[in-house]
Amino acid sequence: MAATTPISSASHFIQADDDDDIEEDAIPSMIYPGGGAPVTPLSASTPNAGNPLSSAKGKARAAPSPLNPAVSGNIGSSSASQAANGVNPNRRWLGNVQIETRYTGVDTLDEPVTATLASILLFVLYAIDIVLYPRRSGEARQVLRDYDLWGPLMLCLGLAVMLSINAPPNQSLPIFSSVVVLISLGSVIVTLQTQLLGGRVSFLQAICVIGYCIAPLDIAALVAFFFKLIYIRVPVCLLCWAWCVWAAVNFFDGTKIETNRILLAVYPLLLFYFILAWMILIQ
Amino acid sequence: MSNYHQIESDDRADDGNNLEFRSFLGNDSTTEPAPGRGYLRDQPTQSSFWNIEYYQPYFDVDTNTVLKRCYYTMVPNVDYLTNHLSPSPDLYGPFWTLSTMAFSLFVFSSLASSIASYLSSEPFDFDFKLLSIAVSLCYAYGLGLPLALWLALRYLGVTDWSLVEAIAIFGYGQFIWIPVSLLCVIPVPILRWALCGIAFGLSGWFLVANVYPILQTAEAKATRLIAIVIFVLHAALALTLKIQFFSYYVIEPIGGSDPITGPSPTGTSRF
Repeated sequence: MAATTPISSASHFIQADDDDDIEEDAIPSMIYPGGGAPVTPLSASTPNAGNPLSSAKGKARAAPSPLNPAVSGNIGSSSASQAANGVNPNRRWLGNVQIETRYTGVDTLDEPVTATLASILLFVLYAIDIVLYPRRSGEARQVLRDYDLWGPLMLCLGLAVMLSINAPPNQSLPIFSSVVVLISLGSVIVTLQTQLLGGRVSFLQAICVIGYCIAPLDIAALVAFFFKLIYIRVPVCLLCWAWCVWAAVNFFDGTKIETNRILLAVYPLLLFYFILAWMILIQ
Repeated sequence: MSNYHQIESDDRADDGNNLEFRSFLGNDSTTEPAPGRGYLRDQPTQSSFWNIEYYQPYFDVDTNTVLKRCYYTMVPNVDYLTNHLSPSPDLYGPFWTLSTMAFSLFVFSSLASSIASYLSSEPFDFDFKLLSIAVSLCYAYGLGLPLALWLALRYLGVTDWSLVEAIAIFGYGQFIWIPVSLLCVIPVPILRWALCGIAFGLSGWFLVANVYPILQTAEAKATRLIAIVIFVLHAALALTLKIQFFSYYVIEPIGGSDPITGPSPTGTSRF
């Protein structure tokens, strides 16, 4: 198996999407039960591919990139040699699973857990920032294209915990479960009906955005956690509700819904966030 | 078994040198025939039951249509089905009417009870079980009952009534409860009874007037008795709403303590 060396600790394994026009049979398999050396373009061009360092050197020659030497690693060289032969170099079969290897420039397999958690947390904070102050530049949509569900999960659980701590003891369990169920089912339903109305939006991305838009309500719940006065709670909750809706609508306005049904698409968002704001208000 | 075969070069692979990720999400707008209508297709296509395109014809409505359909449920006129649910009934209105009804019941009853506790200066302890009660009641009545009725009528041989029409009738028919639940915040008991009675009368009449012509098409005359069943069920719904949501349950709880959520006297932990 000398030819399969590009799978190293520096590679990410992503299951290859099967919606492109490359036929699966056309992708050469890297597994050869006979054990003989396969005559693949990879092994032909890099004779000592068993050593990642040497193959990286060969690649660096093929695709010199002085800015980021790490990027010109395994994938770069093999792809440079294989592109001429029309083979997608990042795809291979590992067992029965077709995988795609990509090198993102960061080694996330060997890093400590704290660094992983910190990077997730940083990304969540960055995404919250992007969602709550939508930029017109389109950068926001680009960032949200790599959606994650960590942030929505954290925000949902945070809201549920804050509401249930504040509740009387025999109510905390139903409040927690109803908040979690409401947020998860509600975001799914809102996303589905946006698609049903003809909105051009991807499913998980919309769930991610709706989840991130709960962030102002977390702030409201935190404020309501400390201030019991109704004169403080009502303006804060209303303000945060408006903020949520504004942020969500700002995202959904690019979904190409017809103008005479925009209200139909916005109304479920209004209802969804209003119920959450109301639960914060009366806790 | 060296079933390895070389493939011809395709143009997808010639970006191997620069390690940029290419996004294929945004650049398909050139092949779309009508980009202004989003995912909606102009020609209806045959889609399978599990596809989202299968349901899109039932959501092909405009804001004005939905508002008009909601409004005319409160005006007593016969033949709502042909006058207002034409050319085709939708599912958006029924679903969100029921959702709004559930949440408005929850919101306004909690508002009313907090006003009551404020007036009587008792500590306000909100019962969050009301939310799940409201949601399950509304969906069971507005979605489950028409489904059961539709199945029963199909069993009895009435085939010219679609499930979507049934759900549309029952869903839109509950619209009157939304303004009534708002008005029931006013803490006058006789006014609440009157409002609930008006809502019950209007929506019950709407339901029976729209379902009875369907029942008449059945062969057996006894099928028309289903109208009485609907009427009784609707009366039960109205009474449940009045007692559950429009009573001052903060001052006097109805029906004794709940055995599930109350602190157990023997000291056994719940979970």
